[in-house]
Amino acid sequence: MDASHASELQYFLEQEKQKAVLNELVGKLTDVCWDKCITGTPGSKFSSGESSCLTNCAQRFLETSSLILRRFQSLQQ
Amino acid sequence: MDPFSSPPLSGSAEGPSNEVVMDKVKQQLAQAYAEEFFRTVRDKCFTKCVTKPSTSLSGSESSCISRCVERYIEATGIISRAVITSLPR
Repeated sequence: MDASHASELQYFLEQEKQKAVLNELVGKLTDVCWDKCITGTPGSKFSSGESSCLTNCAQRFLETSSLILRRFQSLQQ
Repeated sequence: MDPFSSPPLSGSAEGPSNEVVMDKVKQQLAQAYAEEFFRTVRDKCFTKCVTKPSTSLSGSESSCISRCVERYIEATGIISRAVITSLPR
């Protein structure tokens, strides 16, 4: 395999890896936030409370993640 | 059966072309993702809808399961949009 073919594959695999990481995050977040936000029997549509809970949950999770990362970084100084 | 061992559809004698390899990888990743998603929805909706298992699924259990599947797919979209819009530029 010549260099340009190898680097094309390498780039492709890097892209796919990033997509997989994103998919895993979305999957995990949906799992966690579903449990927190959809407390009753599923209806034929989400109430506005349920859908805003889901959005809030995802955003707060990501914020929590950043906060903890910054905390770890300051502990190391 | 090794998906790469069949005769190459195109490309050199050294093996399948990059395009064939990339398509195969994408296909396998999509398949793995679909299987994982199925397992998650199955587990969540069984938990939500079948609280007292009896000798068959009742009509209300079945419709709960249908609604649950739709809602879980919708929830995945909501979370997906929230994550993508939160990504740093």
